[in-house]
Amino acid sequence: MHTSDTNDYADKRDQEILELLRDYPMSTADAGFFDQALARATHEGSRRQRNRWIMTGFGSAVAAGLVLWFVGGTFLATSELPQPDASIPGIAMTLEEPRTINLVFASATPLDSATLTVTLPDGIELAGFPGQREIAWQTSLVEGKNFLPLELIALTPAGGEVLARLEHDDRDRTFRLRIEVS
Amino acid sequence: MSAEANKHTFDTLVRPHFDRLYRLAFRLTGRKAEAEDLFQELLIKAFGKLDDLVTIEEPGSWLSRVMYNLFVDEQRRFARRRMHTVEEGFLPVGGVEGFAGTDNPERDHQRLEKLNQLDAALAQLSDEHRLVVLLHDTEGYKLDEIHTLIGIPIGTVKSRLHRARARLREILVESGTFS
Repeated sequence: MHTSDTNDYADKRDQEILELLRDYPMSTADAGFFDQALARATHEGSRRQRNRWIMTGFGSAVAAGLVLWFVGGTFLATSELPQPDASIPGIAMTLEEPRTINLVFASATPLDSATLTVTLPDGIELAGFPGQREIAWQTSLVEGKNFLPLELIALTPAGGEVLARLEHDDRDRTFRLRIEVS
Repeated sequence: MSAEANKHTFDTLVRPHFDRLYRLAFRLTGRKAEAEDLFQELLIKAFGKLDDLVTIEEPGSWLSRVMYNLFVDEQRRFARRRMHTVEEGFLPVGGVEGFAGTDNPERDHQRLEKLNQLDAALAQLSDEHRLVVLLHDTEGYKLDEIHTLIGIPIGTVKSRLHRARARLREILVESGTFS
């Protein structure tokens, strides 16, 4: 399997490093993931083609899973942070069934060293971070649309609100997503 | 072509490459959830380009390049989606669970220790160096495949690989993993 185009690992120690690299663990996809991904792609791909005009609009919910467009009246007009929608959008989740929520932040200007903090209610978890209620990113946003997929899973039927707080310098905005679990 | 025919054609073209593409997604992102997101985005994008895909001689290479470009685009948008509040440096699949042991527990333990140290050493490499060494030495990509995927000259691939290995060796010797 391994074709050695170059050979820096000449001695025994280096051979052992190479063997370790070959054994370096790989995650395996969950059973059914590929079929689900394929089904989502063909479904969403078709829907995107039908609704391409909507992708430039505000407040749309299209694309993989659900896309929430967090934009406001200042989009591309001022240097303000993106504004949250006045109404709280909501989604329905099925207990213990992962769902990818794609958050899209539209920023009027590039933002360096912004902090995005996602706060989860009890019973809702972010895939890969079991038991964590608050997860933060140090990030930079480009002018225009910035995309963040979050895979959520509901472990209890309580539901609640997911908060996404965007901070830059001394300004901040909080976006809310209401989750109902059935 | 009908919608069902499109789906069937797409399935036929992309499914043979799923394993390799998933592995690439995982090596690029280093995390299962993000690898799955990247894989999903690739399929959505590729389905939107089905008309192109059916004319491509090597769909596997094309899909890999699209995935790499999606990853780079996302890096630009969101730096690297590293979660600074989460401790990093763990083996991607949770240590022992992802390690195929033998019937020699003591040897397994030593090897697992070394794999953990390798994981920590890889985390200290730059993203560019880590990717090249993982693709070449772990995934078995040839230099020209990395050149095609990343879009850098073969000479640059070689020099990155050489430097990455040298740095890896240095870190592992400094940490006492190897004498």
